[in-house]
This record gives sequence, C-alpha cells and structure tokens, in this order.
Amino acid sequence: MEQIAFYLFSVLTIGLFLVTVLSNNVLYAMTSLAAGMVLISGFFFLLGADFLGVVQLVVYVGAVMALYSFGMMFFDATKDIKEKNTSSYLVFFLSGMIALTLVIMFSAPIMGENIIASYPIMAGATNPQAVGLVLFTKYLVPFEVAAVMLLVAMISGIILAGKKMDDSLTTKDENHEEDDTFSRKDIK
Amino acid sequence: MDAIIIETIVKAALVIAVFSALAGFGTFIERKILAFMQRRLGPMHVGPFGILQIAADGIKLFTKEDIIPQHANKFIFMIAPIITAATAFIALAAVPIFPEFTVFGYTIHPIVADINVGILFILGAMASGLYGPLLAGMAQANKWGIIGSARTAILFMSYEVVTGLSLLAPIMLVGSLSLIDFNAAQTGGVGEWLVWQQPVAFILFIIAGFAETNRTPFDILEHEAEIISGYATEYSGMRWGMFFIGEYANMITISFMASLIFFGGFNEWGILPGGLAILLKVSFFFFLMLWVRASWPHIRPDQLMWLCWKVLMPIAILNVLITGLVMML
Amino acid sequence: MSLNKFKDRNVGVQNYTLIEHEAFPQTGGEKFARVLKRTIKGELFVGLWVTMRTMILALFNGEIHTVKYPFEKLPISPRYRAIHDMLRLLESGHYRCIGCGLCEKICIADCIKMDTKYDENQRKEVTEYTINFGRCIFCGYCAEVCPELAIVHGGRYETASQQRASFSIFDDMLTPIDALKEQKEYPGFGAVSPNADDNIKKTPLAY
Repeated sequence: MEQIAFYLFSVLTIGLFLVTVLSNNVLYAMTSLAAGMVLISGFFFLLGADFLGVVQLVVYVGAVMALYSFGMMFFDATKDIKEKNTSSYLVFFLSGMIALTLVIMFSAPIMGENIIASYPIMAGATNPQAVGLVLFTKYLVPFEVAAVMLLVAMISGIILAGKKMDDSLTTKDENHEEDDTFSRKDIK
Repeated sequence: MDAIIIETIVKAALVIAVFSALAGFGTFIERKILAFMQRRLGPMHVGPFGILQIAADGIKLFTKEDIIPQHANKFIFMIAPIITAATAFIALAAVPIFPEFTVFGYTIHPIVADINVGILFILGAMASGLYGPLLAGMAQANKWGIIGSARTAILFMSYEVVTGLSLLAPIMLVGSLSLIDFNAAQTGGVGEWLVWQQPVAFILFIIAGFAETNRTPFDILEHEAEIISGYATEYSGMRWGMFFIGEYANMITISFMASLIFFGGFNEWGILPGGLAILLKVSFFFFLMLWVRASWPHIRPDQLMWLCWKVLMPIAILNVLITGLVMML
Repeated sequence: MSLNKFKDRNVGVQNYTLIEHEAFPQTGGEKFARVLKRTIKGELFVGLWVTMRTMILALFNGEIHTVKYPFEKLPISPRYRAIHDMLRLLESGHYRCIGCGLCEKICIADCIKMDTKYDENQRKEVTEYTINFGRCIFCGYCAEVCPELAIVHGGRYETASQQRASFSIFDDMLTPIDALKEQKEYPGFGAVSPNADDNIKKTPLAY
C-alpha cells in the first residue's frame, strides 16, 4: 500500500517537475511546479510526518504564488515562447542523470536497511512537539541563524521597497502633483 | 481495515454530496437575505418562497454551453475551477462536523480524516484553493482576468500571514493542532469558550477568514463594478458554477473553524445538544458573511494590503507575545 | 448684459452645501489616531444595524418595496401619453371621430393615416384609421388638436408586440361598446381643464 503510494507520488512529482523544466509556457511551468510541491507533501504524510507535510503545503503554496506574480508581470501567459535547445550534450547529461537517480531510488530501500536513526522518534510525542524538540535542542544554532537571516532579509526588503512608501499614489488629498501626472499623461 | 476504508469512502461521498447541496442552498440564502436587507423579495417564483430556484439554477448551469475562449490556454482554463472546488472539499475533510454518535451499535466519528494537524491542513488546503482563481485569470486571455489573478496573489499574500498568526495564540493555549482537541478543551460550557480568552485572535481570524473566502469587504478578485467579474469573466456554465461551489464550501469551512476554535464547537450548549449547537453557530457565521456583504462597502487592494500588513499583523504578533508571556507567568 | 450671464448655465437657485471633510492626516501619528478613532467609534456596527433593521422591518412589518410587475402595476399619471384610445359618444355609443383629418395633418411623425367617406346621412364615416406605432413619437399633438376629444392617449404602456397591427387597428383603440359606461374622459394633453366652466366668458358681441 505504502509502496504503491510512494511510487505513484514519485512518478507524478518527477513528471511534474520535468514539465516545469521543459515547458516553454510559463503557465504550465508554474502550475506543474505548484502541483509538484503539493505532491511532495504527500511523501511527508506517507512517512507519518503530518506536521512537516502540512508546513510544506502551506509554505510552498505561498512561495509559488509569489513566483506566479512575477510570471504574470514578465510573460504573456497565453503565448508559447519559442526556445531552441541547441546543446544535445545537455540532453545526454540530463537523461543520464535521471537514469542514475532512478537506479539510486530503486536501490535505496536495500541500502536503507543498514541505516540506524540517530534521533529515533520519541514515544508519546506528537508530530509538532517532536519537530519543536529537535529544533530547539540539536538544531538550535542553525534555527536561530536562519531566523536572523530571515529578519535581515525582511528588513532589507522593507528598506528597498519602502523608500517612497510615504507617497501614496491613491490616497492623495487634492495634491498638485496628481494634476501634474495627469497632464503629463495627456501630453503623451 | 476494510471497514475503515468503506467508512471513509462513505463519509467522503456524504461530505461532497451534502456540502455541494449546501453550497447551492447557500446561494439561495444569500440572495434571500440580501434581498430582505435591501427591501426586496428575492427569488419568489420557483417553488414555495422560491426555494426550488436552486434546482432551476443547477439545471441552467449544467446545460449551459461551456465556452472556452479562442486564445485561452485550454488545459489550465479547464482545470482551474476544479482546483477551487476540489480543495474546498479537501479542506472540509479535516473538519469534525458533529459530535460522534452511535448508529446500530457502531460509533461514527463525523470527520473524514482525523489528522492531528487539522488546523494547518485546512489552512493549507484552502490556501491552495486560491490557485483556482489565479490560474483561471491567467489562462483566459482576458485583461480583466489578469487583473483578477494579480489581485488573487495580493489577497493571498495579505491574509495568509494574519490567519496563521491569529490562530497561533489559541493553538498555544490548547497545545494542539487538532480541531477535536480544541473542541475537547472547551467542554465546560459557555464560560470556557476560547473567544473570552482570545477576543483579539477571534476578530483577526474572522477578518482574515473574510479575505480567505473572498467575501465582501475583501472581494477584490471579482468585484463586478471594477473588473467585470475578475477571474471568472470568461467562464460559463458548470465551470463557473464550480467556482461558486468552492467559494460557498470555503465559507462553510471558515464558519466551522470559527465555531470550533473560538465558540465551543460541538459541545452541548445549555439544553441544546451538540449537533444542534454547532449548526446554530455555523449558521450564524454564514449569516454574518451575508450580513456584512449587505452592509459594508468593499476596499481597494492597496487598502487590503495596508490593513493586513500594517495593522492586523502587528496586532497578531503582539497578541501571540502577550499570550506567551501570560502563559509563562 | 455681459456675456458671462449667458454662459452661466446653472439656472435656478443654488442650494449646494459643502460637506465638511476632516483634515487629511499628514503625519504617521495622525494617521494612527484616525485608525484608532475609526476602529473604536463602531461606525461599522452602525452599518450592520441599518441593514439588520431593514431586514427585520421587511420580514415582520412587510416593508418590502418590490412591485411584482406583471401581476401588479404602479399607477401612472393621467397625463401619461401611451397608446391612443378612441372614445365614443356617451349618448349614442357612436364613435366621436368626425373624420375632420386634423390629427392626420398635425402629426409630426406622419404616422396617422385615415380615410373617410360620406354615409347615407351625409355624415363623415371613418373607413380606415391606422396609427403606425413604429413611427409614433407619442407627442400628443393629435389629442390636443382633436376638436371632439375623440382621440386621446390611454394608459397602455406595454408596447412590445409581435406586429404593429396589434395596436393600430381602429377597432382595437375604440372603447368597446359594452364598456361604454367605464369610459373616462381624458384629463391629459388637450383635454378641457377642470375649471373650464369658470373660464368661459361671454363673447363681446355688443359693439
């Protein structure tokens, strides 16, 4: 049962990500990316890591949505973009790597029998609790570093975007600048 | 094992059947209530009080021509409404609808899948439901549609943070992500309802829920007066209907979440049995959405972003901080 | 008189009042104060109460303003100019039209067509009378000019039809003979004013 589900999910995920990489249409690429991300959360559910699966769902749905908005700004979604793939070496290389990955995937269960988990699942702890325990004990330093990095990124994002935040284009109160922009547009 | 599978399938089928019917009924209720609030009669002619209008509309939607615009991206255009409807029902799968009851000596838990991270699952599923409008708007080769999908992205990025942060405080209090645990935490009657401990979180959640279900103060995706019908401009027939089934199912889900998390869920309420109590609460929240639609104007996208990022998110973070401090002391 | 006076198109008395706006908040603190004020003031709940009150009144007090149109109609003004009626003489029941042809002459849309002949009493008889409602602009000149108050405007304003002839046959416009008792004088355009009797003056014949 689990194996069927695993292979179904993996085939679907790889197929979808292939579409992401190979498609010329931004809409197909984005959609398959989002669907692949959603399907990856299926692996977490299969492993019994409900919390991580849901987090994967929530986080990547939002992240790909942000990518979509870039896609919307840069491309006409309904047109195919003509691209030429000139390098046949690249195709050879990629297909070889795919074959290698498949071999590793299928042989992984055999190798996996020898692996002993260094942090086995604690009895009685539910999923979020287990994640929390690991995050705040073993991985405390990377966690905090990641948090600081995100904070830095957020602050710099606000500074980059917020330079002209005080000049709202829509809520101007009978300002003369507004008239100017209109007249400039008219001249054009 | 087989019994569980059969039970789950039956439950899933029941949820889909009942809630798509309820979504249809929701459109009728909405039309009626909006009509009364505007001194009109609403649908009157089909059946008693116009109640068969749902059936008439259903027949119309099913038999209408399914138009796909010439330059649209056909595949994406066709699957977009299915995403909305499907994710709405997937989200409903993790909602405990009634208290458990016994039929012929067999105890039934009226929840399709009791995963222990129910709240996050519902939020995630509903969030991915917004891919429906997004893809629909981008695939239909229509400028109003593009604006609609751009606004979808805006809406999503605005409300998502607030929903998560507002629910964090009650989650900290209860110490679980399962809606059943939330329900169990409020068994002690009205006094134990979480809304008394977390009024701010409740208000934030309701505001974010309105945004999440694309209801009126934040219905920027398809506001008719501004962008024709936004993402649904080119849709017709059943595909258009599926967007609506999804929207109304989402409204019901949000109502269920608000009642379960903040208003005691399906516990007995005075003399009312639990099943009736939650029905009343859910109906009230559903009615609240219609009531607000009749009363308030909608806001601009930039106002939505301003509200969510500059007002609601700081309040939510403060709420979480204060809750944490109070719990530690 | 200057040219300015002609250019001023605001005819009538101007009673405009300017609505007082609050000053737009400039600083961040003022904005914050406004947000706080609007949040606490509960204006939104006033809006909620307004709609709720309307709903309660509509449900329990019957204050519903819907007119179920095909089943009930709003009264229209007596001076409304809809499809014409041809009236009859109250005493004899004969139609009032004397075939003078004034309405045909005055019709600015040129839509009235009539044909007459002398009958055995040497009285004008209307053999054919049609109004082309595809052209009629419902100006009311025919009713105004009619010396016998024979052609008037009725109240049939639902003028959608599959063919024009449905409205324009003389017999259709004529009051049915059995409904003669219900025939009402037309108070509108061209009719005698209610105080017509008072306005009658003796013709000054004595020079």
